[in-house]
Amino acid sequence: MPDTSTILEFILIIVKAWVIAMVLFGLPLPLTWLERKIAGHIQVRLGPWRVGPHGLLQPFADMIKLLMKEDIVPYKADKLLFVIAPLLAMVPAFAVFAAIPFGEKVLIPGLDYELTLYLSDMNVGILYILAMSGLGIYGVILGGWASNSKYSLLGGLRSSAQMISYEIAVSFAVIGVVMLANSLSLVDIVRAQGGNILHWNILYLPVGPVWFFIFMIGSTAEINRVPFDLPEDEGTLAAGFHTEYSGMKFAFFMLAEYIAMVTVSVLAVILFFGGWNAPFSIPLPIPPIFWFMAKVAFFIYLFMWIRFTLPRYRYDQLMNIGWKILLPLSLVNVLATGLMRLYL
Amino acid sequence: MAEDKGRILELIKRVLFTDFVKGLTVTLGYNVSKSITHKYPDEEKWVPYRRFRGVHTLNRTETGKELCVACELCSKACPTQCITVIPMEDDTGRGIADRVAKVWKVDLVRCLYCGYCEDACPTRAVRLSREYELACTDLSCTVRQREDLLKPVQVPESFEGGVIAKSEFLRSKRGIKVKVDLSNTRKRPL
Repeated sequence: MPDTSTILEFILIIVKAWVIAMVLFGLPLPLTWLERKIAGHIQVRLGPWRVGPHGLLQPFADMIKLLMKEDIVPYKADKLLFVIAPLLAMVPAFAVFAAIPFGEKVLIPGLDYELTLYLSDMNVGILYILAMSGLGIYGVILGGWASNSKYSLLGGLRSSAQMISYEIAVSFAVIGVVMLANSLSLVDIVRAQGGNILHWNILYLPVGPVWFFIFMIGSTAEINRVPFDLPEDEGTLAAGFHTEYSGMKFAFFMLAEYIAMVTVSVLAVILFFGGWNAPFSIPLPIPPIFWFMAKVAFFIYLFMWIRFTLPRYRYDQLMNIGWKILLPLSLVNVLATGLMRLYL
Repeated sequence: MAEDKGRILELIKRVLFTDFVKGLTVTLGYNVSKSITHKYPDEEKWVPYRRFRGVHTLNRTETGKELCVACELCSKACPTQCITVIPMEDDTGRGIADRVAKVWKVDLVRCLYCGYCEDACPTRAVRLSREYELACTDLSCTVRQREDLLKPVQVPESFEGGVIAKSEFLRSKRGIKVKVDLSNTRKRPL
């Protein structure tokens, strides 16, 4: 018979997992609204306006529409893979959050119990996250393959090629951060950046900003966002890998994409912007989770901002950037970081 | 040498993402700027300039007499023959002359809003107003009779126009209507 503290721990983990999953399921709703609103305002329009005040109920209307829509499976599609693919895209996106920390321990007032703001502090956290987010690509490739449509297939192929080219650069960028923190655990990486803004990895000159830009460019390509959204390039591929998808299956792909965007924003904050550390000491008692949320929100906004600023790259340009610029640059940067760690 | 300098400068610009940042500032500027979307028909409505040619209106004198003398010049001038005028004799003082229109109707489906009837009219009785909400659910409303056209229009001809006016969106059994408040207007942005 396990003692009560073990049972409590167990229940707590289940509750935390449930809360994180619910938040992640709910997150795309405000994000779609935000994205359309930002799109509108950047194009001097209003964006969603008519459903609820400032169009706030628009995501719910969209959700109802997606639920009601006919779930079409094309006649010549590979039925099983076609159904599984959206799930394959979605599950890794959720699984990534098992290793993501949102803050340090919090003391619950009254109960005198220390609550950790993460599911698990894996000693291979960053490796797990990279591996898991890499798995998500299978959903895209299989979805493109199973649809039995040339647009979908080309979208899936582009997606896999893009993944291979950019995952390497992103991993090398992460290696730099790991070298600085001497740990693969995300909590340790954040702890290593403790103190004020000068201790953040982005300001580890001269290599920090380079790591950051490699990471940002690479992960923008990985989460299929403009200017690297070639797998779902409307201009040439109809809708890319999800051309044949409709209704809830399409919604799952969108869900996975939005969660991937959140993941990348969170990673950028943890790896380069000091996680939940405050940028400078403030006498006010601001909880660390606030800093974390604010930074993540900024990055989410940044991704949307970039989406409505830049045009899409051509496919060969994409490959050139990946292999001819990012990869050599990241290798040089690994070397430079190593030398700096040794002799500075 | 100068060429090299230019190339180095170009490289530095690329490394520092200057063009990218320039683009981002432009879009950020638009993001925080005010939207140019008119909230029509819920809150505001575009009131066109005087030169706008909308639905016909038949004018009266200041004393309330009909200006139309049923000379039929408008129907003669009309390129699409959408105006029908039938004159009649009347000495009760309804019009400014003994000859008044018994029927004056315009088929708005055929009308091309060229304004020739305006130009042809010797008494400036027929004018094209600034009314442009013409949608209806059946064809009965596409032919406008004299009685309807004699009613005063929402935007009087004396009003300058070219502004966005606050408006009220009215729904009723008979259809929808957008009522403008001409005292509460604003200039069009951009």
